[in-house]
Amino acid sequence: MESAITVEGLRKSFGSREVLHGIDFQVQAGSVFGVIGPNGAGKTTTMRCLLDIIRPSAGTLRVLGQDPRHGGPGLRRRIGYLPGELTLEARVTGRRLLDHYEAVSGPVSPGRIDELAERLNLDLDRHTRKLSKGNKQKLGLIQAFMHEPELLVLDEPTSGLDPLVQQEFLAMVQEARDRGQTVFLSSHVLSEVQQAADEVAILRDGRIVTVATVDALRESAVRHLRFTASGITADDAGALLGRVPGVGGVEVLTAGDGVELTAVLEGSIGPLVQALSRLELTDLVLEEPDLEESVLRLYGNNGNGRRGNGSRRREPQEEGSSHA
Amino acid sequence: MRSPMPLFRRAFVDSWRSTLGWAAGLAGAILLYLPIYPSIGGSAQMQEMINALPPEMTKALNYDQIASGPGYTQATVFGLIGFLLMTIATVSWGAAAVGGDEESGQLELTLAHGVTRMQLVWERALAMFLRVVLLAVLVFVLILALNDSAHLSIDSMHLFGAAVEFAGLALLSGTAALFVGALSGRKAYGLAAGAAVGVLGYVFNAVGRQSPDLDWLLDLSPYHWAYGNSPVANGADWASAGWLWGISAGLVLLSSLALQRRDVGS
Repeated sequence: MESAITVEGLRKSFGSREVLHGIDFQVQAGSVFGVIGPNGAGKTTTMRCLLDIIRPSAGTLRVLGQDPRHGGPGLRRRIGYLPGELTLEARVTGRRLLDHYEAVSGPVSPGRIDELAERLNLDLDRHTRKLSKGNKQKLGLIQAFMHEPELLVLDEPTSGLDPLVQQEFLAMVQEARDRGQTVFLSSHVLSEVQQAADEVAILRDGRIVTVATVDALRESAVRHLRFTASGITADDAGALLGRVPGVGGVEVLTAGDGVELTAVLEGSIGPLVQALSRLELTDLVLEEPDLEESVLRLYGNNGNGRRGNGSRRREPQEEGSSHA
Repeated sequence: MRSPMPLFRRAFVDSWRSTLGWAAGLAGAILLYLPIYPSIGGSAQMQEMINALPPEMTKALNYDQIASGPGYTQATVFGLIGFLLMTIATVSWGAAAVGGDEESGQLELTLAHGVTRMQLVWERALAMFLRVVLLAVLVFVLILALNDSAHLSIDSMHLFGAAVEFAGLALLSGTAALFVGALSGRKAYGLAAGAAVGVLGYVFNAVGRQSPDLDWLLDLSPYHWAYGNSPVANGADWASAGWLWGISAGLVLLSSLALQRRDVGS
């Protein structure tokens, strides 16, 4: 298959600080490719290089068959771009702003703008600087999607959107893919891209840690579990959870006549749910797979000797240990 | 549909409030100052008062010819309040055009669309030039309209020349702000550069006129290039007008080259 984006040995330094240390990846034409990583990993820098907003220090880039450095307006008209930090402060209505970008990058098929605005539930007749962050983001999405470009480059597209609109956005991505458009999007949360993306690259500290399918990534990710239950002792609860495959780092505290328990889960949730069904739960939180930890785990699997000691978390205790 | 010069049109049309505001300010200043010329500037009393001031002060304020209609217009409108308003306007436009737009994060999105950086700088600079020309035309027309009723006795060709110098002087500050903004990506640096051109030009003129020993300061003063020969009274020095407009155009070229060569928004 043809590739829409090819990045080889991309390096970028700002002054003496190198933020991209030679990254390589390919995005197949007609696919949805997500890049995830913590803030400061280099996602935005990579995307800006693709649009020739900043220039690589080394490496080669091919976007839709051209070098972005020399593709000029012709190439950028074939790309829809949503910046990571979208600021729209002009004293113009959303409609006028979109008309302006249509005049620059059009043509846009008639009725397309209104159709997108309706889908995202955005009032185009309000002044852009009075829009909330979420509504600005919607406007940014419309200007990226409206001329149905061959390639969409979307930097944190779901930030600021409420869950309903996020779903609508994911539907738009799916439709774009069905039409044969290529989508390259970023997020710092795996859960935001996992529904949409075919493939995911994990970027950390300016390096690609891995490129994998979403399924492969989810299997390797860990989730944090927290619940409170009544009518059980701390020791029993710890022992019960300790027997569930994939559960580790169990910490139990006695709370009232019951317990408060935290743990991490790796792999399938089926056995855990079965074990929990035997408890009288008063509260249960099973978090989304934790990207930061799964990234660190991937480091470990690559033989770099670093295990998942997620920086924001306590060091997991020995399995089954408990504090009363 | 794609249409010609979209960036120019947006920069020009979307700033109509600002253009209108500055036009109102300039018109207000002209309507405030000029109609009272017969009772102030033209009176013998005023001349006595001017004579009583320290000569250094009258020179610094260009009040030495204030007793004539053209001298009064030169000193008050072109030399002081008009110069001030116009310089502030162009410096703020110039600094905002690229540096301000980049700092606010909006330039990134525009450059990701189907435009070149050259095109962006030139179209936005053109919008600034056109606004300046419109304001200069307004000043020209208003003064001409008041010429008889305020007994100013200004020659209309001389007034035209003064308006060209007036616009060129403001453009120089504005394009200096544009250039430093485009070079640094910082609005504040652009504002500082544009203001420096305006203020230093004024100060060098005021100080340079005090003594022949300080003559060289006048050569460094765009303000003096524009107004050194009192264009309202004597007509423009077209060579100096050419310099002001030419250097401004050169600064636009340098701005486009500066933006062309660097990372945006980093």
